[in-house]
Amino acid sequence: MAKKMVAVTACIAGIAHTYMAAENLKKFAKKEGYDIKVETQGAMGVENRLSSSEIQDADVVIFAVDTTVQDSDRFDGKKILKVGTSEVVKDGKAAIDEAAKLVN
Amino acid sequence: MNSNLVDFISEKNIVMDLHAETRDDAIHQLALILEKNGSISNSEDFYKDVLYRESLTTTGIGNNIAIPHGKSKSVINSTMLFAKNSKLLDWNSLDGSKVNVIFLMAVPIESKGDEHLKMLAKLSGKLMDDEFVKSIKEAKTTEDILKIIRD
Repeated sequence: MAKKMVAVTACIAGIAHTYMAAENLKKFAKKEGYDIKVETQGAMGVENRLSSSEIQDADVVIFAVDTTVQDSDRFDGKKILKVGTSEVVKDGKAAIDEAAKLVN
Repeated sequence: MNSNLVDFISEKNIVMDLHAETRDDAIHQLALILEKNGSISNSEDFYKDVLYRESLTTTGIGNNIAIPHGKSKSVINSTMLFAKNSKLLDWNSLDGSKVNVIFLMAVPIESKGDEHLKMLAKLSGKLMDDEFVKSIKEAKTTEDILKIIRD
């Protein structure tokens, strides 16, 4: 079964990097054969909010954030990869690969 | 396409012949255009707010593209400007590339959840799409850009 990932993206202004990082994670997760759902915490508020069961089922969590994650206690006890949004925009594959390593 | 989108991205938001010498010069010239378009009330204030954002981390996302943006009290309506510059500009880009494709985004400080903001978010996401980026870079005319962005 494909590894399940969930991610949260959030940048300072919440205008651009939040959404670029989200798209790049989805793009490379798909390429590498992982299931992923990405919650964006941007200027439009929280979108695609991850449910507790989605978090529960995930093998690994990616925080692509330049700021604090809202309601981060939802992820207590999970394996979490924390990176900046720019890193994910620059190299989405590296972020997915790093996250995958945490599972193995 | 809804009327919001037509209003959001029209000919006046597209500058195919920007001749800036530096990053700051480009942002300044584009701020003046936004002011002329009636999207911002004060180009100097907006310019400073965009440079402040730029000082936190570069908005040069690689591939010769930059997306300078600012939340600023001088912004009247969320909007964007697309510009192609005649020469490549230093932008401290993530991949070290110089920039000649610029998406300048302007958002009011208290803005949340409006249609224009959604458009900016969607457009940002599209910049991760290799095909989209390729067609933007190959576009020669204002009409080309409008067609690509509106599709």
